[in-house]
Amino acid sequence: MHPSNGRAAADAFLTVRGLQKTFGDEPVLRGVDLRLPAHRTMSVLGRSGSGKTTLLRLIAGLERADAGTVVLGGRSLDGVPARERSAVYLYQESLLFPHLSVRENIAFGLTLGAHRGRDLDVEVEAMIDVLGLTAHADKRPHQLSGGQQQRVAFGRAVILRPKLLLLDEPFANLDAAIRTQMQDLFQRLAAAYRITALFVTHNLKEALLMGDRLAHLRDGILKTYDSRQAFVDDPVVGVRDEMAFWTALREETS
Amino acid sequence: MHAPSASISRAQAIVAALLAAVCLVPFAYLAALSVADPWTFPALAPEGWSLARWGRMLTGAGALGPSLSLSLGLSLTVAIASTAAGYVTGKFIAYHPWRRRLLVLAYVPFVMAPVILGVCLMYLFLRMRLAGSVAGVMLAQTMFAYGFSIIFFNAFWSARLKAMEDLVATLGGTTAEAYWRVLLPVSVGMLLICFFQTFLISWFQYGLTLLVGAGKVQTLPLKVYDFVSEANMYYAALASCLLVLPPVALLWVNKRFVFRQGLGTT
Repeated sequence: MHPSNGRAAADAFLTVRGLQKTFGDEPVLRGVDLRLPAHRTMSVLGRSGSGKTTLLRLIAGLERADAGTVVLGGRSLDGVPARERSAVYLYQESLLFPHLSVRENIAFGLTLGAHRGRDLDVEVEAMIDVLGLTAHADKRPHQLSGGQQQRVAFGRAVILRPKLLLLDEPFANLDAAIRTQMQDLFQRLAAAYRITALFVTHNLKEALLMGDRLAHLRDGILKTYDSRQAFVDDPVVGVRDEMAFWTALREETS
Repeated sequence: MHAPSASISRAQAIVAALLAAVCLVPFAYLAALSVADPWTFPALAPEGWSLARWGRMLTGAGALGPSLSLSLGLSLTVAIASTAAGYVTGKFIAYHPWRRRLLVLAYVPFVMAPVILGVCLMYLFLRMRLAGSVAGVMLAQTMFAYGFSIIFFNAFWSARLKAMEDLVATLGGTTAEAYWRVLLPVSVGMLLICFFQTFLISWFQYGLTLLVGAGKVQTLPLKVYDFVSEANMYYAALASCLLVLPPVALLWVNKRFVFRQGLGTT
């Protein structure tokens, strides 16, 4: 199911239709449809094993779908290799390159063939400043905390101005305080750089915080919601259960 | 917690010195024997010292110089070839759906002793006119070294490295850029370690070299055994010193440039 066809079809920047993927005998995605307008973030909530990572990998071009189409910015991605899609993948781990400094990691994408010609130094220094890492610019990844490493990973991705950012539970390994900081950082970067993003998570609160649009992936089927209220009201999502739990706890302890 | 006392520190120093002596005395003995002039039983020390044997070695006496060159060339070639091939093959197997089955094949050369494997392969080598040749010895040694290298790198190619390679693709990089800019720099330490290990596999190889080389490929280990057989203990010691020097040099390089700088880790 998906939002109203008329409005969504007109302003969809990312369109996925009928995406299917089976590994061996196990179907992981069973005909996923979604539409995402430009400069918006869609949160995809799902449990482990629901197919979230597979969905992102198919859109990124790191796996080949069994069926279905992906259209990004009006261009079909069928047969297009990952390096030409302008869809940057952010993992749970920062995956910083250990032999490069913070500055070099952030600049990495800009030094590849696809992006040469841009004014590297100015852009990189500006991004380091935005990330609050000026004092750490010459350090190696092992000298940084987990949160700092993830900041660098964000900077490395966002500096390329990708058409689409694919975030695969990027804050899952962080503690609660750092996670909140990173969520704020992402929202600021998304607004400042007008990012279009797919954010997958198994964390209900995070899905609600991060997404302008909301979806739920279960057993390979994606359900998108017209509004936050519809998302909250769906018993399958589990928001009502969460609210009931905290309400009961408050009554018990008051 | 109390700091170690002076007596415990002294005891630790003595134990360390004894351990060092246990390791180093055999090498010191070989070096001493190679320059002894002469050293006859039951004397505890040589009656004189002379570098004449080392000088004669450099001018070609005993054919040690050519053996040293041959061994170096052979081992360097085997190490470079098997490390490079194992790096690529190890990756292919690590990410293959049939990983376990393919990895079993890499263990095949180690199922039996090198000499037994050499005997089994002799007919094939004779038919291919490789028996008694340097190329034949190189091929036989590479079989073992390549298998080792595959097993070594199979453990290296992890899901994390695959994710890094994928990440470079989504950042806009080609496969060549992924290797040149990320994978190879990250792999440097492991490549050096594997090179060192495969060098040693070839360097000290005796039985297989004797069998496949038919005694014509006179590497340094064969020379050592020849001198021992002749009861020429001075030249056996000299050849043994030559046998030990390159591995010691490589060990020093590894320790200095690989482990100290924290390379070989991702």
